[in-house]
Amino acid sequence: MKPKVAFFDFTSCEGCQLDVLNLTAEELLDLLAAVDIVNFREAISNRSDDYDIAFIEGSISREAEIPRLQKIRAQAKVLVALGACACIGGVNCLKNHLPMEQALKMVYGDAAKNYDTIPARPINAVVPVDFYVRGCPIQTGELVKVVKALLLGKKPDIPNYPVCTECKMAGNICVFELGKTCIGPVTRAGCNAICVTGGRQCWGCRGLVDEPNKNSEEEILKKHGLTPEQVVEKFKIYNTYVEAKK
Amino acid sequence: MKGNSVLIVDDEAIVRESLRDWLANAGYDVATAETAEEALETITKRDFSVMVLDVRLPGQTGLSILKEVKAQRPWIRSIIITAYPSEETTREATRLGAIDYMVKPLAPDDLERLVRETIESVGKEPTVITPPKAPRKAVAKAIEIKKSVVVSKQNFKSLVNNLIKTMDVYGVKARQGKYVYDNISNANELVLNYDVTVLPPTAYLFPPRETILKFKLGDTAKPEPVTNKTPRAIIGVHPYDIKAIEMLDEAFITANPDPNYIARRQNSLIIGVDNLNPSPKSFAPSMGTHIADNGFDLMLTDIGTKYMVTIGSKKGGDLLKKYVTVAEPTADDIAKQKAVLDEAQTKYQLHLDVPRERLPKLLEDSYDDVYWQSRSETCLSCGSCVMVCPTCFCFDVQDDVALNLKEGQRIRQWDGCMLVDFAKVATGENFRHDKASRFRHRIYRKGKYVLERYGRMGCVGCGRCANACLAEIASPLEAFNAIAESWQAKQAAQRILREARPESELYAPRPAQLVRVEQLAAKEKVFEMKFLDGKELGHQPGQFVSVSIMGIGESPFGVATSPTRKGSFEFAVRNVGSVTNAIHNLQKGAVVGIRGPFGNGFNVKALEGKDILFIAGGIGLFPVRSLIQYVMDNRKQFGRAIVLFGARTPAERLFVEELATWKNDPALEFYETVDRGTPDWTGNVGVITTLIPKVQLDPRKTMAIVVGPPIMYRFVIVELKKKDLPDENIIMSLERRMKCGVGKCGHCQINGVYVCQEGPVFSLAQLRNLREAV
Amino acid sequence: MTQVKIDVHYVTRIEGHGNLILDAKDGKIEKLLWEVPESPRFFEAMLVGRHYDDVHHIASRICGICSISHTTASIQATEAAFGIKPSEQTILLRKLLFDAEMLESHVLHTLFLIAPDFLGVDSVIPLAATHPDVVVMALRMKKLAYNLAEALAQRKTHPLSCVVGGFTKVPDLNELKALKKRLVECLKDLDVETSIFKTLKIPDFIRQTEYIALKDPKEYAWISGQIASSDAPAVPIDKYLGVTNEFCVPTSTAKYTKNKRDSYMVGALARFNLNSKQLSPRAKAVAKELGISAPCFNPYMISVAQLVETYHVVEDSINLIDQLVERGVKEEPDKVKPKAGRGVGAVEAPRGILFHDYTYDANGIITKANCIIPTNQNHNNIQKDLEALVPKILDKPQAEIQKMMEMLVRAYDPCVSCSTHALTVTFK
Repeated sequence: MKPKVAFFDFTSCEGCQLDVLNLTAEELLDLLAAVDIVNFREAISNRSDDYDIAFIEGSISREAEIPRLQKIRAQAKVLVALGACACIGGVNCLKNHLPMEQALKMVYGDAAKNYDTIPARPINAVVPVDFYVRGCPIQTGELVKVVKALLLGKKPDIPNYPVCTECKMAGNICVFELGKTCIGPVTRAGCNAICVTGGRQCWGCRGLVDEPNKNSEEEILKKHGLTPEQVVEKFKIYNTYVEAKK
Repeated sequence: MKGNSVLIVDDEAIVRESLRDWLANAGYDVATAETAEEALETITKRDFSVMVLDVRLPGQTGLSILKEVKAQRPWIRSIIITAYPSEETTREATRLGAIDYMVKPLAPDDLERLVRETIESVGKEPTVITPPKAPRKAVAKAIEIKKSVVVSKQNFKSLVNNLIKTMDVYGVKARQGKYVYDNISNANELVLNYDVTVLPPTAYLFPPRETILKFKLGDTAKPEPVTNKTPRAIIGVHPYDIKAIEMLDEAFITANPDPNYIARRQNSLIIGVDNLNPSPKSFAPSMGTHIADNGFDLMLTDIGTKYMVTIGSKKGGDLLKKYVTVAEPTADDIAKQKAVLDEAQTKYQLHLDVPRERLPKLLEDSYDDVYWQSRSETCLSCGSCVMVCPTCFCFDVQDDVALNLKEGQRIRQWDGCMLVDFAKVATGENFRHDKASRFRHRIYRKGKYVLERYGRMGCVGCGRCANACLAEIASPLEAFNAIAESWQAKQAAQRILREARPESELYAPRPAQLVRVEQLAAKEKVFEMKFLDGKELGHQPGQFVSVSIMGIGESPFGVATSPTRKGSFEFAVRNVGSVTNAIHNLQKGAVVGIRGPFGNGFNVKALEGKDILFIAGGIGLFPVRSLIQYVMDNRKQFGRAIVLFGARTPAERLFVEELATWKNDPALEFYETVDRGTPDWTGNVGVITTLIPKVQLDPRKTMAIVVGPPIMYRFVIVELKKKDLPDENIIMSLERRMKCGVGKCGHCQINGVYVCQEGPVFSLAQLRNLREAV
Repeated sequence: MTQVKIDVHYVTRIEGHGNLILDAKDGKIEKLLWEVPESPRFFEAMLVGRHYDDVHHIASRICGICSISHTTASIQATEAAFGIKPSEQTILLRKLLFDAEMLESHVLHTLFLIAPDFLGVDSVIPLAATHPDVVVMALRMKKLAYNLAEALAQRKTHPLSCVVGGFTKVPDLNELKALKKRLVECLKDLDVETSIFKTLKIPDFIRQTEYIALKDPKEYAWISGQIASSDAPAVPIDKYLGVTNEFCVPTSTAKYTKNKRDSYMVGALARFNLNSKQLSPRAKAVAKELGISAPCFNPYMISVAQLVETYHVVEDSINLIDQLVERGVKEEPDKVKPKAGRGVGAVEAPRGILFHDYTYDANGIITKANCIIPTNQNHNNIQKDLEALVPKILDKPQAEIQKMMEMLVRAYDPCVSCSTHALTVTFK
């Protein structure tokens, strides 16, 4: 019996679902040989409420999304969070810094009252999550890795070390040495430091490692010229929810 | 002469001292010299069996003294040591009588063995000169001089461009102001005068990720090993990285030869280049890795328009033969190479404070040092230090199965002991769960474990980890030096204890006999003392002694006579307490205990040529008297001598007869006053400060010596300042409670100053900084 | 007595959520609604207070499907505010990156989302069984688009190396040369797609509307030019508010836009209608082959216009790579200096014209942001199309009506996830 797989999206840009389709033909055919995809609104029309593995993209930012997610959790044997929005709240949580009424007013003016909106949160703030495919967006390779691990019944090897490790392996010159700053030293690796490789810096989209030395990172950021406010901003883009919870 | 005496001549303190300690520990009688000149001087004075002589010394070279040594003490066996071996020096040294030759960096145990064998070979007859023996085999390897040739830079480029046609070529390139190893498609991309690369070249031998096995899932699983034998050249490898490769060779090749590493290693050409622009974070010389004599196929030294190329292997030699024309190095080339290497060595800014050979022991003794905890506090556990390290080779192994779930590969990728989960087992327990233990483990690998396991240093001093560490804690040098410092502090403490020569008589007074007592005033007497052993007190004016009456106690008293008055000394005592009372009760002939002299006294040398203004109030006259006497006895060395003396009443005047002589002595200007007169007193009445305005002073030339009751000082200073005397010229002797006299008991302390040691004499300028003083 | 009751609670195979509601009795429409309940995401509010270097990074997250468009529009808005003129190399690289997104998006839309409707299958998954060659081909083209984007900006979804002022990493020319070979091959795949499209029976439905797109006299406009309209003279992009005229209507779920008429259309068909003369030669020829010519008033032809555009971007990419190889690429220093002021960036995202409008303070911190996305501009037109379409087909079986309606919505390729200005209104 092939496991039945379903994809669901909540508040997100849908980039992660799109990247699910970033497979070679061979990979897609292998995947379809291994699993039945029964729900994938972005790509398929038929829907089924019978599935084993649910992949959830997006964070929860409306009341109406909560019961929908709970229903999925009740059905799925395995629930996997897909992407930064689902895993840690991601950029959606930036709005949490504003009073909701103010945010609504800023964007929608007088029509604001018609909106159903609550502070954005990752899905594990609502239901238990079994596995995480992190990043904004996900790396298709890592998703495949998790799928394979699920199929083989083993725990996927997801790093619990900071981005620096992979950044060094990639042979990158440290962004701090180039006069910029970055929160890679406390951010979970697994992305092969793609942002630094691309000439940018780490914004923390994969969330922090299990034991981040945040004090030290903050001192380092200050030493490299950031004000305490800028240090806080650094962690906001993706980690607003996790930081606020502490 | 002792049969096991050794003289070590080396200008590098680290080498000199480490060899000294090592040999001394091994039971040799060791002396050291820093220069050739000092060595000769030492040899003139005493004899040795063996001399260990550095070739390069400041001033005269090592070789230059061999002849002289041979003439003076022909039996001394000389072992030459040098960091820059060359055929010429070897030949020359042997000709001059050196019997052996070792190349720096030295393993001290090798040297010890050589010294031992040398001494044993000499036997018991030191005067017999044995002919120089052939270099031993172990040493022969070190002095084997590889063939060096000269290649123009243009020629070298064409060699590289030829290599590019036949194999993968990796080399050092500039990128964003830093240097990296990368694929080279044209020799012009190479930058060979770099300082350090971000990642080490070892990444080409042990890559960040590589497949080691391919397999099929299921019962018939028969894994197939995967190795990479692509021929490649790595160009621009610095000596420390070559040393790192040698270390990796030990780890990967010696026991359980690793097929993946060996495949890459055997198919890699290593073209090294001497590092003439060391990175500010590098400490390669301290690790003995700034020069490499092995481990390369070719080694370049940039000597301007050309390279001096040392051929390290047949492969390297063949390469030159095939692609370029070479020239024999001229004397100029050799000199230039030496000069650039010497200059490069002076550029290193960081050094190990202990000989590296001592590190394993040092670390062993420092396992519980607080350093590991405190220094690792800011560690991010980010792994940067271990990822950029050329000698780190830990890895993780993971299976990657294809999506068809039929086949897969086993992959190894870099891992590191600084990462949180490195030592975590499946049950969840983490054997190195805290930052401190991980931090310590890494430093131990660098300075101890790797060395003990593989015989090579686990740190080559490249400085990459120090560059990579954002928390700025990764440099093993820093850790080694910090540990060494606390170790040395411990050692120093132990040494002081071991070598301390206790002054058994520090607290025991010397017996002195009272030869004369004289009542000065109602409560004051003066006592003249002579030591029973006939010795002088040996004091300076202004110093004091402690006078003991056993069973009663001990009290300090200023010496009242000048050291110029030989044979005896005097102190005067006002009867105010139990010890003074006991002293007052002494009869002529009694024996008391004297300790001292203590304190600094008046700096008479600094007073010479000056006008001296003595201001003594009451019994302040006692110590002042010693200086007045001194000045009178050396009258020509001083300018004017003006004495102002004040007593409370005429009856309390002291040394009345002496006062009368001073008054009549034309060499002295003497003024006195009493606070309260009596009907028969015809002199000045008024406090002592009233005398000061009467005296004409040259403030630049006048030194005021002020001693009296504490209350007097403040007013005297005011008056003297009216005369524009600078603070430096106002000298005072302070009275403080003194017990031990030797700077221990703490009673006399003024802020941080011990009056019995740094005092009791101070200038006003000194006292201005002591807020407890006046 | 016939009753039609359609409540498609989210149309599948579109990006984002959109619902279709139709209530009709006896040939009379009581309720006909295109509803967009996507969660509002507050990007404009999130952008306020951000440093310019983070702005396009966040703006990219408005939409994963057209993140290159959002990134480019965002960067260009910032550059306009700072008065920065990007280098020629940067413009070439941006265009090439843009082509990559257009290729991927159009292939995804035409072959994965649209084709199943015509090939009588439910989705790409059964298509893999029935037409494996089509799926393999589509994935090959998609992969090519991804690889092209990766060569330029590390990845397609939320590109990395393109920043305000230029690129933080320049592509490897050897990699580009290899990609060019694949692009040339890709034209053959497109020919196969064309032959499939020729067999498709596109519904015959006409509704004339206003068409709005960027227009650049020099080329088929993607990231430059002015706002052109089928009904009015072109206006500079910073006058976009006078074109979009956002408004709310009580019966609608989304903010509507209109310009000269009740509604207007943006996207591939609008571009085709306004700029078809500037298409590449192959694209022009294929347009002829597929029987599309400007002006075309059939919204079901949007996918055909997309296919035509796909040829154009592939040919354009080949051309751009040739130019880059010829002139070479080099690292360019970052010379960005923030300046207080307002700037507007406009690009043609796959689904139509997209505006980002920022106001910065002197430190390069955003004080005000506005984004108008193409799908929002099309909502009104979709609604108006439905209102024109449904009466004509109301006599058909309900399933067929529903399919026609869904196909119409899908033709617009709505990308609802952006949802910067979507409304959620509950109807009773």
